[in-house]
Amino acid sequence: MELNANAEIFQGLSNAVVDMDEERTVSLAEMSIELGIDAYLTINNGLVTGMMRAGDLFEQEEYFIPELLLCSDAMYAGLSVLQPHLKKETEKLKSRVVIGVIEGDTHDIGKNLVKIMLETSGFEVIDLGRDIPPRSFADEADRSGARIIALSTLMTTTMDGMNEVVRILERNNRRNRHQVIIGGGPVSSAFAKRIGADGYAPNASDAVRLVKQLTGGVER
Amino acid sequence: MIRDLMKPAERLKAYADGSPIDRLPCVPIVGNIAARVIEEKVSSLRNNGRLLARAHVAAYKRFGYDGIRIFTDLYVQAEAMGAKVRCPSDETAYLEKPAVSNTDQIDAIRPIDTPKSGLFREHLDAMERTLEAVGKEVPVTGALTGPFTNASFLVGTENLVRLTLKRPRAVHRLCEVSLETSLRYAEAILKTGCTPSLTDPMSSSTLISPKQFREFVLPYLTRLVDYIHGQGKAVTLHICGKTHPVWESMADTGADCLSIDNDASLLAAKSKVGSRVRLMGNVPPAAVMLQGSPGDVRREARRCVSQAHDNPRGYIVASGCSLPTETPFANVDAMMDAVREIGYPVNEISPVDGNG
Repeated sequence: MELNANAEIFQGLSNAVVDMDEERTVSLAEMSIELGIDAYLTINNGLVTGMMRAGDLFEQEEYFIPELLLCSDAMYAGLSVLQPHLKKETEKLKSRVVIGVIEGDTHDIGKNLVKIMLETSGFEVIDLGRDIPPRSFADEADRSGARIIALSTLMTTTMDGMNEVVRILERNNRRNRHQVIIGGGPVSSAFAKRIGADGYAPNASDAVRLVKQLTGGVER
Repeated sequence: MIRDLMKPAERLKAYADGSPIDRLPCVPIVGNIAARVIEEKVSSLRNNGRLLARAHVAAYKRFGYDGIRIFTDLYVQAEAMGAKVRCPSDETAYLEKPAVSNTDQIDAIRPIDTPKSGLFREHLDAMERTLEAVGKEVPVTGALTGPFTNASFLVGTENLVRLTLKRPRAVHRLCEVSLETSLRYAEAILKTGCTPSLTDPMSSSTLISPKQFREFVLPYLTRLVDYIHGQGKAVTLHICGKTHPVWESMADTGADCLSIDNDASLLAAKSKVGSRVRLMGNVPPAAVMLQGSPGDVRREARRCVSQAHDNPRGYIVASGCSLPTETPFANVDAMMDAVREIGYPVNEISPVDGNG
């Protein structure tokens, strides 16, 4: 009986996220709290499942970026209801990722999608934003102990900034502590190799696969 | 080295008429490389019509391509409507802040009545000077940003795409004021004797769905193309990124030539819309033109020619997008030379025969 109620809430939440329905997501999340359903399970089986489905629809070109953004709006709205109710012990230690758009570039939709999909997959993402100097990536990774530094650019003019991040890590003897991955229009896996980065991903889903592969899963 | 036997204007006219030509038209879209040719900083061209013209005339003379496009960046219209643009001293300008940060302020955005502000004036001045210098022998166009893309600079891309689903009427309003500005600017460009050349990257299927293209892009581009046609000029429409789902809609705008980037297959474009529009593209700007060797460039140019030279409405060898400013001159030369070597009519091309 209880299992059914849970499953119904989870399915409803997942559908609400896929349907881009922020209000319904919030009210189902609240209902889940009232029914005493575990918040962690609700997030994982409801919100995250919905966002994964939205990601699949995006890969199949059923959904485009506008739809994906509204799905993520719904997911985050549900998340802010559920997060305060997470039991401490179910909050697992997660691998951290520092992400941002290189200095000289303010295109950040691609970066935001990668962030959404990484968070959906259970990573903790520190988002530096856009137009970020190379040094800030290295500093923040050091400060937070993030395993992964994810760099994005859509401009050919700013590709060199990615190179610079790798060089800064080398100069500070930090290269073996962080792995650097890159993405965005003008870059490629050949470019990643050339600047000595650890990987390249052409889109948000591949970025998640890459981060999982480099970190050996979600746990730190 | 093989020399050109015809001037670009002559070649393009003969190509359109089906008369003999020495080679296919070729346009490496040089963008701010023009600044490198006259050894000036990129930012010094943006607000200086005399220098901008000198750079583009010099670049044309240096490389010998078949079309000059007066262009510094995509933000000329949006800046006049309130967007904030940052201009690093020696790199292409970029958007710092959209015109409004709060979508409630959309109604306050007004179109530009007459493109008289400094930046417009300098760009128009550059067009006039370029025409005067070389307009008899080569077509000169003025870059015009498409309404949907301009709208993204007014409210921010993420806001705009959210609005497409949440408040479609607000998006239409933004496109409408952008269109009005574009029409006024197009009118001024045409008055100089140049033709507007349309760029609308934010409308690609990398960002929005084909259905949204038909709703928010097609009507506005169509009105713009109709207007330019009404003034007796042909129109090129450039959209970079993924475009295969919208090729037919792009042709529906009435544009005469579609410029597509490397994220698209020329063969597929040819079979889908080649009987309706001329094609141009799709030598990869970053991976090949910027980072490749002259040999890589030759191979890519040959691949493009072999795929598209028999396009029913014609083909212009071109880079898939504006070239990065640091693209080596040797690679631009290699692209031109490859097309000169192939000549016309195009015979059998072996794709590996690129001894760069």
